[in-house]
Amino acid sequence: MTVTTETQAIGATRAAEAPARPRFFTWRRFTTPIVVVVVLALLLLWVSTLQLDSIEQRTLNWGYITLRVGEHLSLTVVASALVAVLAIPTGILLAKTRSATVRNVILAIANIGQATPAVGVVILLAILWQTGYTTALVALVVYAFLPVLRNTMIGIQQVDANVRESARGMGMTPNQVLTRIEVPLAVPVILAGLRTALVFCVGVATIATFINAGGLGDMIVNGLKLQRYPVLVVGAVLVACIALLIDWIAGFAEDLLKPKGI
Amino acid sequence: MNALDLDGLLTFWGRRWDDILELVLQHLAVVALSLLIATVVGVLIGILVWNRPVPRSLTIAAAGVALTIPSLALLALITPVFGLGWTPTVLSLVFYSLLPIVRNTVVGLREVSPAIMESAKGMGMSPAKILFAVQLPMAWPIILTGVRVAAQLTIGIAAIAAYVAGPGLGQFIFQGLSSLGSKNALNFALTGTLGVVLLALVVDGAFVLISRSTTSRGLRV
Repeated sequence: MTVTTETQAIGATRAAEAPARPRFFTWRRFTTPIVVVVVLALLLLWVSTLQLDSIEQRTLNWGYITLRVGEHLSLTVVASALVAVLAIPTGILLAKTRSATVRNVILAIANIGQATPAVGVVILLAILWQTGYTTALVALVVYAFLPVLRNTMIGIQQVDANVRESARGMGMTPNQVLTRIEVPLAVPVILAGLRTALVFCVGVATIATFINAGGLGDMIVNGLKLQRYPVLVVGAVLVACIALLIDWIAGFAEDLLKPKGI
Repeated sequence: MNALDLDGLLTFWGRRWDDILELVLQHLAVVALSLLIATVVGVLIGILVWNRPVPRSLTIAAAGVALTIPSLALLALITPVFGLGWTPTVLSLVFYSLLPIVRNTVVGLREVSPAIMESAKGMGMSPAKILFAVQLPMAWPIILTGVRVAAQLTIGIAAIAAYVAGPGLGQFIFQGLSSLGSKNALNFALTGTLGVVLLALVVDGAFVLISRSTTSRGLRV
């Protein structure tokens, strides 16, 4: 009796999995990159029809644009990597502390941190410390740290107590429970936090221009200040495209890195 | 380099109390106005798409994608058309508020159990009556949660909108930046930032009250 139900159960999960596999690559999955490519092509077409004056020529050339895109991407990627390295272990440690007060205080701080405007953090750091790339990087890390920390803590804590207990019952040590059960089960939540952090970073890296840290914000701000709208539009569209692409790549990675069983 | 001087900050607050209050009110006004518009538009969109699978998933996907666009980029993009000041600010705040509101409206309307819908039909209610007398009141707490999320989001974005001459506390933050190196730079930026944080916390608290007073009496627990 139990044998038949078991085979049925396995069969049922296989049947449920079977259509899920080929659905991984669909047209829908590639909508974002297609839209981004079309938008960039239209942008290029539009700019090439314009008569650029000397100020516009100084910024609307490949050298300048690739430099700014590079700065923007480096800020975003370095900050997100730092956040991943710092916030995930901290989150795991905090989730494992016995004291509920420590956890609640950290979660409360994380909530207040989310209410803090990014411009405020960036500009305050610049006033208190210095302007430039390093300050922007620190501001990005500080700002993106909290969502990842919070998601890691919540991800570990939401693991079903029964699952934890069965792992114990199978003779796993607390460390094994952590590395083989809790962390893998928390991976989807942690990855969602990292994805949010990445998209945050693209947005906040735009603001980095206010403190002389480069990035595509330079083009937006220069375009606004000098009333050169083509410069502004190119900067803004590029930032939006980068944000969309990074979110898309992160979503793709999220699906790939998710433990197979979940 | 600039160290915090608490006495200086207090005198700064004392001297500029009127300015601070005005900026707080402006900030609140622009956020409230945007949320009002976004709620009306968002709930309408939600009503239009909630029971049509293809438009529904398209709308929610589009709104999710829209949310990833950096706010400074959006603000900058609409200034050539809409100029500076309140208009681009309100427009971009509405833009960012729509996702949480539309998503929660759709979820809320779909969560009303089919049994309840059927009893309403059995009582002879027209589809419009069912929507307004049954579904929307039952979905309202969820819709309001969406508005609350949107409020937190827009209070932060409104600070950036000061760069395109938008109203609110962001003006103090940017004034701090432009007076970088002077004695008051830190006071300006700190006041602006703390003001935004406080405002966000107060508004979040206010939503608890709003949700309690606007939820249909039968649904209150």
